Amino acid sequence: MIICSNCKHANMIGALFCAECGAQLIGRDTLTTQSIATENLKTASRRTTGEMSQPVEGENAWANLHLLDTGQVLPLSSRNEFTMGRISEGQPIMPDIDLSPYQAYAAGVSRLHAVIRRNGAAIAFMDLGSANGTFVNGNRLTPNTEQMLNHGDILALGKMRIQVLIDKK
Amino acid sequence: MFASPSDHYATLGVLRDATQEEIKRAYLEAAQRLHPDKNVAAGETELFLGIQQAYEILSNPKRRAQYDATLPPEVQVDNKFIRHEVFYSRPSLVQIKEDQLLYILLEIDPSAKQSGSLPAPPLNLCLVLDRSTSMQGDKMDILKATAIQLMRTLRPQDVLSIVSFSDRAEVVVPASINLDRRKQENSIQMMQPSGGTEIYQGLEAGMKEIRRTLDPSRVNHIILLTDGETYGDEQDCLLLAEEAARQNVGITGMGIGSEWNDIFLDALAGKTGGSSVYITEPKDIEKFLVNKFKSLTSTYADEVLLEFKTQEHVRLNFAFRLQPEGGQVEAVSPLHMGPILRDTPLHILLELVVTPSALDNEDVLLLDGYLKASVVSQPLPVPPIRLRLKRDVFPEPKAEPPPTRVLKALSRLTLYRMQERAQSAASQGRYDEAAKHLQNLATHLLSQGETGVAKTAMLEAQNLENRRAWSASGIKDIKYKTRALLLGSGKEKPS
Repeated sequence: MIICSNCKHANMIGALFCAECGAQLIGRDTLTTQSIATENLKTASRRTTGEMSQPVEGENAWANLHLLDTGQVLPLSSRNEFTMGRISEGQPIMPDIDLSPYQAYAAGVSRLHAVIRRNGAAIAFMDLGSANGTFVNGNRLTPNTEQMLNHGDILALGKMRIQVLIDKK
Repeated sequence: MFASPSDHYATLGVLRDATQEEIKRAYLEAAQRLHPDKNVAAGETELFLGIQQAYEILSNPKRRAQYDATLPPEVQVDNKFIRHEVFYSRPSLVQIKEDQLLYILLEIDPSAKQSGSLPAPPLNLCLVLDRSTSMQGDKMDILKATAIQLMRTLRPQDVLSIVSFSDRAEVVVPASINLDRRKQENSIQMMQPSGGTEIYQGLEAGMKEIRRTLDPSRVNHIILLTDGETYGDEQDCLLLAEEAARQNVGITGMGIGSEWNDIFLDALAGKTGGSSVYITEPKDIEKFLVNKFKSLTSTYADEVLLEFKTQEHVRLNFAFRLQPEGGQVEAVSPLHMGPILRDTPLHILLELVVTPSALDNEDVLLLDGYLKASVVSQPLPVPPIRLRLKRDVFPEPKAEPPPTRVLKALSRLTLYRMQERAQSAASQGRYDEAAKHLQNLATHLLSQGETGVAKTAMLEAQNLENRRAWSASGIKDIKYKTRALLLGSGKEKPS
């Protein structure tokens, strides 16, 4: 499914315009949506701030990325490491999580921006030398240096804010 | 090298795997056109004999098998008459466990060799005019003047008949080649508005006139002009339109003012590959009729059909003609796609839903069928073009942008469909939802620089919110203007 960033309507993969509000769903430079499991993808409540209403999470995911600007939750499962960035035309760089459907370009996300990795129960996060920087709870990370994450931390890739939800089963 | 001997399949205009039924039908159609009792042009008797011979061989399974053995393997030769191009919204399908969408833009034009050399086709046109009481005044006066003007611009080979109807029909000008023009002009002047609106009466009489001079080498067409709703005979009208389509008679519906039923007129014309036209003001009647007349004389093929077998796991959701005339095409086989004009190719956009069960193989057959065009002033059947549309399946989506023409066409079509959603929501009493659709529509229209329609959409959204109703003229305005935006949207630059 492609969740319309404008009205949250769930469109079929392959849709170019939202069937509900008519917004263009894909950038003119890319057609991809997301390259991680889609079965568990559910829409979260709009814009959680501070004390949040718990969004629906992927069932088998070791962590969920909650995109605060658009409300989607991307579950992380099946592998232990995900690079994050945006796919752009004519560039051979393919991040595991393509953020371009969520206005990544406007938010200043680099093509290869950061990486999130599971190490047992611990979850590490690292900036990959991005142009606009990566922040955890407002503090800028030193590129190529790992930082441990806790449940509820707010990440920022450029201006794109993402909350990490870690499964503590 | 020698010229390849004529292929019996091409002669009859059927595919090699045609069933006996299809061969028989093709033969009967061709024989009707070319029968020695009817044909006049030199050389047509020879064509008829060729068809006769082809049928004798192909209709006999034993002789057909013998003949098939002598044929070289089938190669898709360039069709001499039409050319087609296919554009997909994406290069491949993704291996996922949910339904996915794919858009296909089909562009069909005359092949370069043919288009310039053919003479403009003669017309067999019937005007079916509403003369119910509501037509009184300006509408009727302008209609009469325009009809007379059209009579005067006819070329000697054209036939124009006129039928007027209220609750019954009257032939004003019969279909005939040699007419006393002055007398006909008098009878046009004598038309008096009175009575109700029964479209079926008019259409039936119109079909009768068309049949008098029905001829495949002419453009056979009915133009229905009305300003009101017909009651109770819609179903009969639609059946009649289906019959018209089988006989290659096109129908255009023109609605004047805001009281007529646009959905019905669209459905009626759509059966024949035509569409409806909205005439806001009586003074525009002349402009629309004259334009229609011009586009009919520049017809290259009066109808293109797409016959296809439905695939089990692929659904044709929606088909829309972007040009020459924007209009929805009923998504069943055969698709009545509409005409190809000499200067305006036919553009059709298809929306397909591919279900996960289709993705088991490396590629998916999306559509299997053939294109069949009836090219005017071409006595022999035009060989159909086999159309097998396929896409590969990949585990990962491919990062390739959709072709600009597909994206552009779809961006305009999205506007039109939002208007449709608003209409359907309002007709079911969900006024707030309809208003929201209209507001969204207005936003997109504004961003595309269409200020005029955007304002109308805003106004009607307010009407819905405040009064739980909208004005019939406003919503028709939005519908036909967003539809007009489709024209040329498939091209790189709108002309």
